[in-house]
Amino acid sequence: MQVEKFYYDNRIVKNFAYATILWGAVGMLAGLWIALQLVFPQMNITQYGSFGRLRPLHTNAVIFAFVGNGIFMGVYYSLQRLCKARMFSDKLSNIHFWGWQLIIVAAAITLPLGLSQGTEYAELIWPIDLAITVIWVVFGWNMFGTIIKRREKHLYVAIWFYIATFVTVAVLHIIRSGQLPYSWLQSYSWYSGVQDALVQWWYGHNAVAFFLTTPYLGLMYYFMPKAANRPVYSYKLSIIHFWSLIFLYIWAGPHHLLYTALPNWAQSLGVVFSVMLIFPSWGGMINGLLTLRGAWDRVRDDVILKFMVVAVTAYGMATFEGPMLSLKSVNAVAHYTDWIVAHVHVGALGWNGMLTFGVLYWLIPRIFKTNLYSKKLAANHFWLATLGILFYAIPMYWAGIQQSLMWKQFTEAGQLKYTFLETVTYMKPFYAMRSLGGTLYLIGVFIMFYNIYKTVKTGKLVANEEAEAAPMVKEYVKHTGEHWHRVIERKPIQFMIVSLVVILVGGIIELVPTFMIKSNVPTISSVTPYTPLELQGRDIYVREGCYVCHSQMIRPFRSETERYGEYSKAGEFVYDKPFQWGSKRTGPDLAREGTGNLKKSDGWHFRHFREPSSMSEGSIMPAYPFMIDQAIDTASTASKINAMRSLGVPYEKGYEQFANQELMTQANAVRINLKMEGIEVPANREVIALIAYMQRLGKDISNNKTATFNK
Amino acid sequence: MRRLFIFKNQFIKDPKSIPVSCFHCGDVCDDLTISAESKPFCCQGCKQVYLLLNENNLCNYYDLDKTPGLKAKGKFLSDRFAYLDDAATVQKLISFQSESQVNVHFSIPQMHCSSCIYLLENLHRIEPGVKKSQVNFQLKEVFVMYNPQETTLRKVVELLAFTGYEPYISLQDSTEKRVPAFNRTAVYRIGIAGFCFANIMMLSFPEYFSSGNIDERILKTTFNWINLALSIPVLLFSASGIFISAWKGLRQKFLNIDAPIALAIMVTFARSYYEIISGNGAGYLDSGTGIVFFMLIGRWFQNKTYDSFSFDRDYRAYFPLGVTVVDDGTEKNIPVTQLQKGNRIVVRNEEMIPADAVLMKGTANIDYSFVSGENTAVEKRRGELIYAGGKQMGSIIEMEVIKEPSQSYITQLWNNDIFTHKKNQEQSFIHPWSRYFTGVLLSVAAGTFIFWSFTDASRILPAVTAVLIVACPCSLLLSATFTYGNMLRIFGRNKLYLKNASVIEAMAKINTLVFDKTGTLTQTNTADVQYEGPPLSEKERSIIKTVTRQSSHPLSKIIAASIDTETEIPLTVSSFQEYSGKGFDAVVQDIPVRMGSAGFIKAGNTFITQDTGTAVHIVMDKVHLGKFSIKNQYRPGVAQMVHRLKKTGNQLFVLSGDNDSEQNKLNTLFGAGTPLRFNQSPQQKLDFIKGLQQEGKNVLMLGDGLNDAGALMQSQVGIAVSENSAQFSPASDAILDGSRVLLLDKFISFARAGKNIVLASFILSILYNIVGLSFAVQGILSPMIAAILMPASSISIVLFVSVISSFVARKKGL
Amino acid sequence: MSALFVLIGISILVAGGFLAAFLWSARKGQFDDDYTPSVRMLFDDELNKVPATSTSKKITQTK
Repeated sequence: MQVEKFYYDNRIVKNFAYATILWGAVGMLAGLWIALQLVFPQMNITQYGSFGRLRPLHTNAVIFAFVGNGIFMGVYYSLQRLCKARMFSDKLSNIHFWGWQLIIVAAAITLPLGLSQGTEYAELIWPIDLAITVIWVVFGWNMFGTIIKRREKHLYVAIWFYIATFVTVAVLHIIRSGQLPYSWLQSYSWYSGVQDALVQWWYGHNAVAFFLTTPYLGLMYYFMPKAANRPVYSYKLSIIHFWSLIFLYIWAGPHHLLYTALPNWAQSLGVVFSVMLIFPSWGGMINGLLTLRGAWDRVRDDVILKFMVVAVTAYGMATFEGPMLSLKSVNAVAHYTDWIVAHVHVGALGWNGMLTFGVLYWLIPRIFKTNLYSKKLAANHFWLATLGILFYAIPMYWAGIQQSLMWKQFTEAGQLKYTFLETVTYMKPFYAMRSLGGTLYLIGVFIMFYNIYKTVKTGKLVANEEAEAAPMVKEYVKHTGEHWHRVIERKPIQFMIVSLVVILVGGIIELVPTFMIKSNVPTISSVTPYTPLELQGRDIYVREGCYVCHSQMIRPFRSETERYGEYSKAGEFVYDKPFQWGSKRTGPDLAREGTGNLKKSDGWHFRHFREPSSMSEGSIMPAYPFMIDQAIDTASTASKINAMRSLGVPYEKGYEQFANQELMTQANAVRINLKMEGIEVPANREVIALIAYMQRLGKDISNNKTATFNK
Repeated sequence: MRRLFIFKNQFIKDPKSIPVSCFHCGDVCDDLTISAESKPFCCQGCKQVYLLLNENNLCNYYDLDKTPGLKAKGKFLSDRFAYLDDAATVQKLISFQSESQVNVHFSIPQMHCSSCIYLLENLHRIEPGVKKSQVNFQLKEVFVMYNPQETTLRKVVELLAFTGYEPYISLQDSTEKRVPAFNRTAVYRIGIAGFCFANIMMLSFPEYFSSGNIDERILKTTFNWINLALSIPVLLFSASGIFISAWKGLRQKFLNIDAPIALAIMVTFARSYYEIISGNGAGYLDSGTGIVFFMLIGRWFQNKTYDSFSFDRDYRAYFPLGVTVVDDGTEKNIPVTQLQKGNRIVVRNEEMIPADAVLMKGTANIDYSFVSGENTAVEKRRGELIYAGGKQMGSIIEMEVIKEPSQSYITQLWNNDIFTHKKNQEQSFIHPWSRYFTGVLLSVAAGTFIFWSFTDASRILPAVTAVLIVACPCSLLLSATFTYGNMLRIFGRNKLYLKNASVIEAMAKINTLVFDKTGTLTQTNTADVQYEGPPLSEKERSIIKTVTRQSSHPLSKIIAASIDTETEIPLTVSSFQEYSGKGFDAVVQDIPVRMGSAGFIKAGNTFITQDTGTAVHIVMDKVHLGKFSIKNQYRPGVAQMVHRLKKTGNQLFVLSGDNDSEQNKLNTLFGAGTPLRFNQSPQQKLDFIKGLQQEGKNVLMLGDGLNDAGALMQSQVGIAVSENSAQFSPASDAILDGSRVLLLDKFISFARAGKNIVLASFILSILYNIVGLSFAVQGILSPMIAAILMPASSISIVLFVSVISSFVARKKGL
Repeated sequence: MSALFVLIGISILVAGGFLAAFLWSARKGQFDDDYTPSVRMLFDDELNKVPATSTSKKITQTK
């Protein structure tokens, strides 16, 4: 028992720091690019560069590459110091680092190729999902290893936030990735329709909660006191903050599905818990800001603190706005509009971005034992970033509200005042301004890039930083009375493993009956499985990421039923794997595209896909000429049918053998229609399949008006 | 600690001089010659500490906080901590011992900032023998682990003392085992209750929002069963405390507030379980678990304790652990407990007299501030009896013990039985209330029963159970707990630290106040120095300042500080000879100077008369110039407070341990009609209080020092005044910071207001109950309504009392 | 809504896991001191500071 000398691993911190800067730039560049695509549709260059495929690239790059690496940078730096120990294993650290970067690269390749699961923030295909799981376990292993061999008895609150991040993200990822592969790259979701939607937003919301929030709160609780060199305002409050957040967050998910076909009470559940969330969130924000009480003079001339203050403020705004948005009345206005886009960017650019920058400026000079190359440049970065956020958010808020009002506006005659196209063209100037904001923000990042590059040049990396501490010792205070989980509690790792296993086992036990009992969403007799051609068409729809701009969920408002027809019923989606309700209406809703007054001729669709603006003047939708040349992948039809059947879709046995014949007959029918409209195109083209799917949308209901609907 | 150097700040009168503050302790530097590395220090002690830290590369200490240091006591006598070499004593202090490791917890009341934590947790850098040192700031405690091969307990303590963090080591703490900082079971209970409550709430939403008809039967039943599962730990574990206390009450034929609550909980759970199992309803588990959760929170909130204070110190807390006895010429250290009648003991400078003893060798100069709060030292001559508890200031003395420590003048007080029986235990006046409440409740239930048994028998069970459920007096309990919890905090903000909530109720009843003179009405740490005699020339003044600065005697320090000379004339002191307990002889630039007590000066100058108070005479060049007389200084504003207290119909008394030299002054302060009693022995003080109580008075005693301990114990509310929370204070119901004594009347009136607040909130909660009952008696209480009503009432009541009590506090200027 | 079973089950299990974690840490005395750790985390890496630099710091600090 002796004071020990040991070394902090700064190299891994440096690697993650570089990664977060690099991917940050890439992700934001992609963001800027797609923002401009909405202003200049001709920027959709080739199928690989079309909006529908790049937008998932943007979200994934920013969330998992930029923020992800940012998290690991912060965790690897702070965890070592809080535990007074080097990371458990350098090997694991490196596997984690390179593995994660590999995953990002894989994502960057597959998404433009159109390999997507079509579920937001979980688009990545199943092999990558597996890889993520593995690397995540490596991360956890390394983290808990470090926690075990720590020299400081007390687990600082930041560590708790890290642990929460690890456990919950693991669980969320596994549940959301529930899918049945039908090829070595692609798969269908286990869940379908309403259930898929529920799983999706349970995941989607908690991904935000536990990937973008809890880890960054951990970072806040470490780096903010460090940067200010004063203890957090109230440590007690931070502990309460953590535990209350943990117990509330997991349930806020359903607020993403208000007014959808989700049962009413589930929606209300989401609302109530979302609203409750404001308390812990603001507790955290206040705690962060008050840490600087009496040091505001320092904030004035310390750019790092500036970044952090803005970050925490943005967190406060976003976490106030969130609960507000989850109120049904507000949500009725805001949902599907660009308001939401503004909301998430306040979170991403403000909270995650600014905090990451602050941490980088604080941390890089430290691990390189030097001073920041230029405080002035950093200050410029700060102002550019702040302005960028404002230029981004304000137009989007304005636009979002305007858009919503226009959608809902009626003439005295009781007619909808605006066509959807009018609302789209109205948005263009705002989209332009938004791009300006994005540009400013991005320039800031490049300035930081340069500043940090220069800083690194002047200094030299202290790869292994010397430190000393006495090992953790038993204080020999005898415990009074035995306790039920006495055995496992001796070591946190055993404890966490056990609880994780418990969670998963429990999860499986829960899952089994789920797939045994036939889903009892009130079925609508007339709702039938997709024909092979429609199925192929739908997969193309998913591949092209149409869901990022088009919803398939008509809410029960007059303004929507007038525009899109009868509101959507849970029963219509029982064969949708994955569900394609969407969350944003850059384009109109398509739930009833094939029926009623929305029905258009095959030829219209053909021309529209070839050159959207030719059919609807001023449309900002990308053109899909390549679908006219590319042939349908009929080879996959059989395996798709089989997969669907094993997931409970009632295709009768052996159907897969003659599925392709049926496919061709239906395709020919479409070809004939097109021919009659003077369009010559072979029947085996993707566009045919997609047209077929378009014409199918909403048919089931219109076929049978006497169907029994659930409320 | 701080009290030591308030002297100076008190006496910097000259606005022209810009005080230079010590780099270490921030204290004003009189002597600008002391410095190191161009940093000024107020004294050698501080400089030494700085050098030590600097050489060990611990100067971060000075970055974390500005001038964090504690005024170093300077070099203490090397064998000050000799008793720590005694194995028996060491055994008492340490919590664990092995070949290579010893664990010990030190209480260090004076730690006050981040720098303290930093330094105390880096001891191993200075003393390699220390392996680990960990601070608990709340408890003002440091856990040290050292290797006995490499260092000793004494070394560690000496290091701490040197850096200014002298641990507070006492017999009491060593004999009594340390209690855990906080009640973990309570945390488990709250954690589990909170978790189950939250999840049950969540799983009950479908019930509320779908008004019972969830699309899916299986889902509904699943939710109910999960709820049932979740509620069991709450019932069996979290709520157990309530049941136990209720049961205890009943066994003593006493219906306390927990009885109806326990009843309500049982009914709630029973009915819910019945409904779920029989499958015809969701039950009220959300409300049930909610009740338990809120109540636990309330209790937790009220039982706020001041970790770093101890309210039950007795004399042992003051007494040294070890003492040096002389056995035919050889000195050895023994634990004070083994001290025998007839032992010969050695007491060094700044050490405490452990037992009543007769002075045999040397002259004693005893500071009784611990005992009486009197801050000027008393001189004792050979053969005189010296009471235990005094502190020797000056050279080593030798004395013979005539009484064992536990039997001595001060300590025998503790043989009085009031120290054994406990008072002010949690016995709130809400308990009597609950008797009526339960009565009413049961009659309402009965009424409902009878009514339905005539009209519709099928509704009997639902209605009656519903009545019992909603009428749960949890909000009644909450109103009291949260009011008092919040008041405790408000008092704490004003530096009045109460032992527990029931002291507030005791305080509300007070109609008689008894003051101890010294320490409470007077300021222990300042004295007002008067020069009596022909005015001194500039030269003389600077001479006196120079010589008095030479001496470490408190009086010299006071005088030195009291003199301000326009120009600092550098004077050389050629010789300096101190006669401890008497005074000193010095030669400054060939001018012989003698200062000291009358007795000391008398030799040669027969004309000097004995003084009444404390005085220091000056003889310069064989000429008696005059004397500095040092008097207690009364806290400004005492008179006004006395006036306010009298106006509110309180009866006042003053008890003083020492002579009546201050009688006139006190009379002017308290006005006529306030009985003043002097030369009171501790026992007399105690008996006096008893007397008052026999006249049916509710007494609040304000005192400091050990000699008040009995009286503090005896009185309904005993408040110990201490100059700073780091200082030790005798057993009491509350500890009050000296600077806030003048708020006393406000405190009392706030305490009185508290009771009304509780009553008001009672009425509010009763209203809620009536609303609930109106549903219940008709048998139409839906889980939804219950679930809304329960938290709504609890939360709104909590808010109500918190807001009101804070508001009242502000109005009263607290 | 069978997916709900999964989600509820998982959510409660996760929450339960954290409850256990809470009890564990309470038992391990993690909450005994809810102030000092927040200060302690501020101390580190002054090891590579040499006395010279630290004293030079002092001078700037004293003014």
